[in-house]
Amino acid sequence: MTEERVPCVEGLFSEKDGVATLHGSRCTGCGTPYFPKSEACHNPDCSESKMEDADFGGKGVLWSYSVADFPPPPPHIYDEPFTPYAMGVVDMECGLRLIGQLVDKAEDVKVDANVELLIDTLYHKDGKAFTSWKFKQL
Amino acid sequence: MQEVAVLGVGMHRFGKTGDAIVGTKSVKALCQHAVTAALKDAGVEWKQIQAVSAASSRFSGGKGWGLNGNDVVEDMGSTGIPVYNLSAGCAAGGNAFNIGYSLVAGGIHDMVLVVGGEVMPKGMIQTSGVEEATDPEFLRQRCIGMPGPSFWSTLARRRMFEYGTTEEQFSQVAVKARKNSVHNPYARFQKEITLEDVMNSPYVSNPLRLFQICPVSNGAAAVVICSKERAKQFTSKPVMVASSTVATMTFDDMLPRGLADPITDCPNLHTEAQNAVTRAFEKSGIAPGDVSFTELQDNTCYYELAFPEEWGLCQAGESESLLEAGETTPTGRMPINPSGGFVSFGEATTAMGVFQIAELTWQLRGEAGGRQVPDAKVGLAQTLGLGGNATAAILTR
Ligand SMILES: [Zn+2]
Repeated sequence: MTEERVPCVEGLFSEKDGVATLHGSRCTGCGTPYFPKSEACHNPDCSESKMEDADFGGKGVLWSYSVADFPPPPPHIYDEPFTPYAMGVVDMECGLRLIGQLVDKAEDVKVDANVELLIDTLYHKDGKAFTSWKFKQL
Repeated sequence: MQEVAVLGVGMHRFGKTGDAIVGTKSVKALCQHAVTAALKDAGVEWKQIQAVSAASSRFSGGKGWGLNGNDVVEDMGSTGIPVYNLSAGCAAGGNAFNIGYSLVAGGIHDMVLVVGGEVMPKGMIQTSGVEEATDPEFLRQRCIGMPGPSFWSTLARRRMFEYGTTEEQFSQVAVKARKNSVHNPYARFQKEITLEDVMNSPYVSNPLRLFQICPVSNGAAAVVICSKERAKQFTSKPVMVASSTVATMTFDDMLPRGLADPITDCPNLHTEAQNAVTRAFEKSGIAPGDVSFTELQDNTCYYELAFPEEWGLCQAGESESLLEAGETTPTGRMPINPSGGFVSFGEATTAMGVFQIAELTWQLRGEAGGRQVPDAKVGLAQTLGLGGNATAAILTR
């Protein structure tokens, strides 16, 4: 029996047939991508500032990463016992510098590595697996 | 425009709730102590203060609305003067100084008190108290779990990748900072530590260790400012404010602040700080090479290496060699944080911008004792805070 998978925040991202998609927006005036969705374009040289929904995902390059050696304070939720994890800042091909946890062990992570986006379990609650987007080194 | 002078400064030593320094003192008590000291240092009576510019705390006092300046006025005596409560995250103290400076420079008021104080909650600062999906900080912590130290260690790791910076070099910054703090009676930590101590302290967020990151502290600082003309009635040699600036981040900024940021063709990281410092140089006509010493916001040792390069105090990638040659000590070519910095004080968030002005003043008067920068003529101060806020000030004698 497979456990029920639920996004840790509704509507922010989705997974279908193993493909991870982030739901953001893009300015039709200057093409700037935003995640999460933005009310307005932050580009001071853009006079249009018109937002349309846009999906993001795919691959990128790890700009840098850090390790959570201690459990972060609330509102973060994690499965006990706490296991240190790496979190990366990734320059995505879709034009976003995106942060997220890495599924790789902290000691295996390397700056400048090629990574891809996926959806993975963040914590368990009420018999369900709550998920978030993460990166995996290729 | 009036030229603005710093007439008096005062502080309450930084400490941690329950310790022998601050005990259970409230933020009001800490501020009152600092204000009383600043008035005494200035030779000014409370009733001569025409306005108060205060940093708003979201952690303590201020009637829960960040009205910390009103608390100060009530405790010192309700004279009915105008109060400005400024909110700018950890840059609030610097912001309060800028508003006080602007009131005097613009000729609106001619004896202004600037004050900031904090009693901080324990542990890592959780920057948002809002639990809703529209709050970017909530999303960042719920979906990823990336507290402040992890943000800093991401930057430190990138510097290691780009410049080959070692963990030992980050540690050397902490050793240098704590060496200065021995001579600072207001610092929370006043004991030297060795490279071994730092390297043996646990990782808070790899690659940064406990002694390379500033904890939270309780403390307060206050300064009294007035016009150059008015200052002549009190002192023959006042410390002058050459410039005071506030800036916010620009669109080109690539610091990973939220969940994601658009990639721009400009790799700038702390644009708010760079904008504030650059404008402080432009407005004063003072060049980076003229700076005798700098007090910068070292929440972590990483900033002591990155900021001087980003502001043109030295070349990109040069900080490590300057550090190792002892050039960032008070007697070096580019002294950084002779006070001991945030790493020695801990961060009483909204007090920090005011604390820096106090340290600059003591240095420029030649009153800094064992941490004195010899013949200090020009001091640079800088803060930055949540939301992309930053401030800078240049003081001269
Ligand atoms: Zn736009």
